[in-house]
Amino acid sequence: MSQLENKQFDSKITRRDLIKLFGATAVAGTGIFGASQQAYAKSAAHVVVLGGGVGGATLAKYLRFADPDVKITIIEQYPEYITCLRSNDVIIGMHTLDELTFNLDTIKNKYNVNVVIDTVIGADFDKKTVRTAKGDTFSYDKLVVSPGIDFRFEDYEGYDATLAEGAFPHAYKAGPQTLELRRQLLALPQGGTAIIATPQNPFRCPPGPYERASFFAEYFKEHNPTAKLLVLDPKDRFTKDVPFKKAWERLYGYKSDNSLIEWVSGSEGGRVLRLDAKNMTVETEGGSYKADLINIIPNQRAGKLAQIIGLTDSSGWCPIQRDTMESALHKEVYVLGDSSIADEMPKSGYSANSQAKVCAQAIADALKGNAPGKAIYSNVCYSLAGQNYGVSIAAIYEVRDGRIVAKGKSAGVSPITDKPAQPILEAVYQKNWQREFVKDVFS
Amino acid sequence: MKLRNLILSAGFLAMAQNASAEIMASGSAMAWQCAPCHGTNGQEFVEAMPPLAGMPAKQFIDAMIAYREGTRPAIIMDRVARGFTDEEIKAMAYWFEKQPVKQWENTSLNEALEADATARSTGGQQ
Repeated sequence: MSQLENKQFDSKITRRDLIKLFGATAVAGTGIFGASQQAYAKSAAHVVVLGGGVGGATLAKYLRFADPDVKITIIEQYPEYITCLRSNDVIIGMHTLDELTFNLDTIKNKYNVNVVIDTVIGADFDKKTVRTAKGDTFSYDKLVVSPGIDFRFEDYEGYDATLAEGAFPHAYKAGPQTLELRRQLLALPQGGTAIIATPQNPFRCPPGPYERASFFAEYFKEHNPTAKLLVLDPKDRFTKDVPFKKAWERLYGYKSDNSLIEWVSGSEGGRVLRLDAKNMTVETEGGSYKADLINIIPNQRAGKLAQIIGLTDSSGWCPIQRDTMESALHKEVYVLGDSSIADEMPKSGYSANSQAKVCAQAIADALKGNAPGKAIYSNVCYSLAGQNYGVSIAAIYEVRDGRIVAKGKSAGVSPITDKPAQPILEAVYQKNWQREFVKDVFS
Repeated sequence: MKLRNLILSAGFLAMAQNASAEIMASGSAMAWQCAPCHGTNGQEFVEAMPPLAGMPAKQFIDAMIAYREGTRPAIIMDRVARGFTDEEIKAMAYWFEKQPVKQWENTSLNEALEADATARSTGGQQ
């Protein structure tokens, strides 16, 4: 063993060293940056990433671009990841869950990343270690946390995680609940009533509940034309509400007597207070509604892991340094994606991917002792108001006065025009985007 | 170009990059933000959005400015382009021009790192 602790291992490994260690064949064709693909220098910094979803996987890939030598470990709870994005498609049969299921094999093999399937149960920010359920301890130089969201069931009397796993799926993390909601939609009696209750701001995928509502209406139009969808909303506005409502008018008779969708705003008493599971009734600030299908998408906060290890503030979300995504509460710890407080950026997969790239460059710069470059973020959310009718919102972001805000005049939603090509092309692009996006994250 | 001139111009380039670094993000940092629609490093050749890898810089610059000024029809690129200055558009253009013209899945990490290094060392010299 003493030979393996020889001092030469503490210096940066050169191509020549590698040939000595592994033989020429193993090293052939690895090119000028090949060393890092074979072995790490012992002195290489270690970046530990908690969560192998959109934020974590993107971070690992782009950190490898920014630093060929750093040691990267992802600790992820599940061997496979189902993207929440496009999981509304599964409810109406446009996608299967399998098509939305990804693993970290390419991240591991192509980008030389350690992948550990385990659950993190604690972190020591002074010793710079994390502990896992299987009893392992990992030391880090930089820790990146991308834990997604958690639900505030306590905001609704009579609703809880057990009911969500059973007859009242929120289906706002993709998985068995998504399939259960699909089953319920297909089983809705002719002329039945469905309820979608939307969360208060901020929450994951701001257009998600309204896209889901659109899909319900589109499904009714074809298969259950006398059914009705009630959208109960604690808010008076929602993202892309102008193009969404225009689409509902065009496609589902919105605002007419025969509308397939009715939207109850916060001012009209749309906030849900209580679920009466036994009587299939929800109580809102405005009254009681009985339905055959009740889909409450609960209010949210940062993922459980962020709460457990102490990265959240009193808002329930994680405050960050806007130019690097470093936690405002703990140095050398970074928070990505839905859990972070990113001001004007929505909690979307695209945002998590964008933030991961900024964070990857910031970590690489910090490890090399370079000053951070100027941060630039982006987000594009394509949503479907029908299978062939897309609406979008897009913006480029920069940090100004300590906040992440739209840059230039970039922020905007789909214009309302009389040209059918706009929404049709947006729907085409949405589908292209989904295929491309997951490749940028996982391939 | 004589070696001495090459070194000199490289020196000026480095100075120019340092001066602009304070006010704008690097070409690669901006280009990475295009990946969700246009592929990692712009190397998506099978979807509807055009690939950006290997695109002649002038074509990229003209297109982005036309989108931004509203003289080229767009679905979302007008909204995106309005977020960028001329200098930022140029920095992205020069970076994308140096990326391999091939599908990302068929590109090795080393090819990508080498293309990035080339783009960084020649960026802005057009």
